[in-house]
Amino acid sequence: MTQQIQDAYIVAATRTPVGKAPRGMLRQVRPDDMLVHVLKSALAQVPSLEPKSIEDVVVGCAFPEAEQGLNMARIGALLAGLPDTVPGVTINRYCSSGLNAVQIAADRIRLGEADVVIAGGAESMSMVPMMGNKVALNPEIFAKDENFAIAYGMGITAEKVARQWKVSREDQDAFSLESHRRAVAATASGAFRAEISPLEVTTRTPDLTTHEVRVSTKTVLDDEGPRADTSLEALTKLKTAFDAKGSVTAGNSSQTSDGAAAVVLVSEAALKRYNLTPLARYVTFAVKGVPPAVMGIGPKVAVPAALERAGIGLGAIKWIELNEAFAAQALAVIRDLDLDPQLVNPHGGAIALGHPLGATGAIRTATLVHGMRGRGEKGYGIVTMCIGTGMGAAGVFEVL
Amino acid sequence: MSDTKFRVRKVAVLGARVMGAQIAAHLVNARVPTILFDLPAKEGDRSGIARKGIEGLKKLTPSPLASRETAGFIQAANYEEHLGLLAECDLVIEAIAERLDWKMELYRKVAPHLSARAIFATNTSGLSIAALAEACPKELRSRFCGVHFFNPPRYMHLAEIIPCEAVSPAVLDDLERFLVTTLGKGVIRAKDTPNFVANRIGVFSMLATIANAEKYGIRFDVVDELTGPRLGRAKSATFRTADVVGLDTFAHVVKTMRDGLAHDPWHALFQSPPWLAKLIEAGALGAKTRSGIYLKKGRDLQVLDPASGGYVAAGAKADEGVSEILALKDPAQKLRRLRESDHAQAQFLWACFRDTFHYIAYHLKDIAHSARDVDLAMRWGFGWKQGPFELWQAAGWAQVAGWIEEDIGAGRALAQVPLPAWAREPARTGVHFPQGSYDAAGETLVSRSTLDVYRRQVWPASLIGEGRAQLGETVYENPGVRAFTTGDEVLVVSFKTKAHSISPEVLEGLNHAIGLAEERFRALVIWQSEAPFSVGANLESLRPALATGDWKTIDGVIALFQSTSQRLRYSEIPTVAATEGYVFGGGCEFAMHCDRVVAALESYVGLVEAGVGLLPAGGGCKEFALRAALESKGDLFASLKDYYMMIATARVAGSGLEARELGFLRASDVVAFNAYELLYLARQQALALAESGYRPPLPGRRIPVAGRTGAASIKGQLVNMLEGHFISEYDFEIGARIAEVVTGGDVEAGTEVDEQWLLELERRHFLALLKNAKTQERIAHTLATGKPLRN
Repeated sequence: MTQQIQDAYIVAATRTPVGKAPRGMLRQVRPDDMLVHVLKSALAQVPSLEPKSIEDVVVGCAFPEAEQGLNMARIGALLAGLPDTVPGVTINRYCSSGLNAVQIAADRIRLGEADVVIAGGAESMSMVPMMGNKVALNPEIFAKDENFAIAYGMGITAEKVARQWKVSREDQDAFSLESHRRAVAATASGAFRAEISPLEVTTRTPDLTTHEVRVSTKTVLDDEGPRADTSLEALTKLKTAFDAKGSVTAGNSSQTSDGAAAVVLVSEAALKRYNLTPLARYVTFAVKGVPPAVMGIGPKVAVPAALERAGIGLGAIKWIELNEAFAAQALAVIRDLDLDPQLVNPHGGAIALGHPLGATGAIRTATLVHGMRGRGEKGYGIVTMCIGTGMGAAGVFEVL
Repeated sequence: MSDTKFRVRKVAVLGARVMGAQIAAHLVNARVPTILFDLPAKEGDRSGIARKGIEGLKKLTPSPLASRETAGFIQAANYEEHLGLLAECDLVIEAIAERLDWKMELYRKVAPHLSARAIFATNTSGLSIAALAEACPKELRSRFCGVHFFNPPRYMHLAEIIPCEAVSPAVLDDLERFLVTTLGKGVIRAKDTPNFVANRIGVFSMLATIANAEKYGIRFDVVDELTGPRLGRAKSATFRTADVVGLDTFAHVVKTMRDGLAHDPWHALFQSPPWLAKLIEAGALGAKTRSGIYLKKGRDLQVLDPASGGYVAAGAKADEGVSEILALKDPAQKLRRLRESDHAQAQFLWACFRDTFHYIAYHLKDIAHSARDVDLAMRWGFGWKQGPFELWQAAGWAQVAGWIEEDIGAGRALAQVPLPAWAREPARTGVHFPQGSYDAAGETLVSRSTLDVYRRQVWPASLIGEGRAQLGETVYENPGVRAFTTGDEVLVVSFKTKAHSISPEVLEGLNHAIGLAEERFRALVIWQSEAPFSVGANLESLRPALATGDWKTIDGVIALFQSTSQRLRYSEIPTVAATEGYVFGGGCEFAMHCDRVVAALESYVGLVEAGVGLLPAGGGCKEFALRAALESKGDLFASLKDYYMMIATARVAGSGLEARELGFLRASDVVAFNAYELLYLARQQALALAESGYRPPLPGRRIPVAGRTGAASIKGQLVNMLEGHFISEYDFEIGARIAEVVTGGDVEAGTEVDEQWLLELERRHFLALLKNAKTQERIAHTLATGKPLRN
């Protein structure tokens, strides 16, 4: 039962283009710099908003250490030029961190304790690898067999989902090809223009003869991941990446990526005060646990829970951003929930677009909002993903 | 030493094809700055052709690069933009295609840019050095010669130096010093005759083999069965070697012989057989085109049937009776039985030997300065375990000469010219003697080179007949080791076991030697008179105890192993290990515990125990845990995990340089390019340590360990490998136990332990693994087959 006293509205949602990690176009761009960029870009879209009215900046990050360590949200806010009265908090629930940031920001507003909150996410998998720079597992994990799965890599869990849900290699590869096809088409049609804030990348190269630093800049506009040249044949040839006897390959898994996004949420009062146009209304959110060994199935429980809270049926949903951690788990979820494949990731998913872990939730929120608006669609959409160690999250939005 | 020291500060290699690029690779292996030139590319990067040659090095096997980073140090250049760089080079090696006109044009182009002191050498394998010298400006000729490397140049020991008439003797000496010490090559000074020494005889031997195979109707796969390791030659034997070399290249070399050796009595032999011409015409050029004399069809290997021109299933075996003859130890008996046998395969083999002996005796006068050069050239350039003159001499010179004469008389030999008179002298017993080897041109015995660089070779390659005595004066000997000195206050220990495996006798002997060295010497060196350094613990010797479950005995051996390692580390005198070839398991652990390692470039170093289901328990795990702790700058686990992986995956470093990169060797350890210099270098290092006021490390070092959390983090990886079917359940157990040892057991991260604590863990987990039936299966399987078992 929702106890909110007011609604929360999205008035700006933007993201960087997503780069490939660890050798892609954003490999040398710090995640906190990407965050600064999206904070500035989001606020530039609502120039009438008074920065001092921002109650908090909530930023998701899956491995908040090193370049994205300390408290990246607060540092990003300060470097973005926000008044020092604006606080910041970095939060982590792995792959749903960005969506949880939106949820936390919205809930502050819904509770009536804030009128303006910025949510976002930033992750550089080029700079901070999966599992972080230092792995230090708890020995108790290995004291009992049933806890071993805590140590499973995500690829192993995808293999387990593929086996348990009988998702074939052929289906995974075909799904991946379609993800690329949609992403390539969306990019070519300019469908991402509304959500992407082009990023200027500075490269500093030492000239070893003149002893000067050569500075060059390049503006990146589009996501780096989608491949127009991939084919079923190429995908079929790939070797399995995690299990010698399995079906999950680098080609039917999400790409490792760099990227960031920011979403500005406000109350109805703030809409009026600053004369803002709402893009979407935040409806609700749910997160649920599942066995860690099959973490990819998480959305199967999170989506129905979120829909129930929203008081709507699946039939009311017009767009589903289902994070494609792996084709195996995406297909298992789609089949078990009987989702309409046409509504799932109409612009492609993480297999093509990339998955900068903690930023993804905020990035795909921007895709949902602008994607539906770009097609002139109004109504309900959902952002959902599976989460490491066995969870699923889903957020429901009403695009206005 | 020479008055003005010749320094090779930089080398240019002209020509970035496979040979040029590999020579450049070996130069940078030896830390010699090298520029690799080729033609300017028509578009894009002007040095693109040279750069492509450098890139190609990374894909070759066996690797021409001795360590990962090396290729980056070769500078790519082209003849259009970079000729000015030649001025910095003290040595320029030309290695372009074997075309006299191309070479001449290149010489004209580069000559004006060469430094006034640079040596200019051509890596031709067949062209006349005199003709090439003509193409050089006059003032350059005193610094011009041929230098012929063998493919692959990193691994083949031979380099022939071929002088031109005008070359200055000092230039040849300087080049020889550089080739021998810096690049580690075995140098033969050859005469300027077509194909020089090794290729002249090697290619003849192949042609004679082909001709005799045809004569006696021996299948090609059977020829390879007979003429490979059974004769002490390379596994690729005859026809597979031709495939690897490339049939077009082989035909080209044959053509060189046909064109250049019109008066050779064997001239009729110097032509490609019709089946070879047909293969080349069909584009079947050997390994590089995946079909040649052999053809791989799926999993099946097929071999050419020259009669039909088609392929038949390969794998025909040699006759058992002939195999038995080949296994005979006594060469006199072996040759006699081959000659007397009626079996075609035996007749064929005798004919091959006879014709080769006939050929080398006939040509010795013209092509080589002595029989020693011939034998060493064949050993170093073609990988023959024994030179052809050596075999003849060992089999009884006069007897064999008589047989050859008889065969010539009967028209059975490939040429009808008689053996030279010197070879037929009735009193002749051979060509190698303590005073020197026979020089047929001078009709005299010549002794070894007195060039100063050879003073560094305390134990050079020896030949049958030289009658070399044991090195030094024996100080102590038991069934496992011999300890000796050459009078320089260093005690040298050599193992006497097969492959220098470590048996209980070796452990006892080594301990005794350390005691003697502490009492009476200034330093101790572990050195073997031939590779390998050691294949590790002798598992065979543990078998009786293993069979009866006599764990007490086994425990005692492990304890002795560990205390021996610790004595090498903590003895009162410096200890130095001189390694070459396999440095495995216990051998690696001993080397790691010495104060210094002098490793030949071709040292293959690894803690390989996991391969037989065990873990290093002679201090290897302890040493890596200790090194990780010493190297750790705040993150102990980060320094430890690579060491862990090397033990768990039984990783073997592919060179002394790589062993240093991986951490088996330390930064202070020395990599020697010429293995014949090992003992010299090891003694120098040992004495330098002794002279520097040597004290062993203080005992009782505290070692912080990665603890339970470290072990858990490793197990996290293992679980994923297990779930991903990359390792077996038992692999997981072995991996987990190795993790427990190197992380210091069930203690918190950062806890300080001592060496004995870690050794105790090694011992406990080693025993637990050894008691497991699966480890016992692995050991039995490896001892029986030489291959690992995954169970």
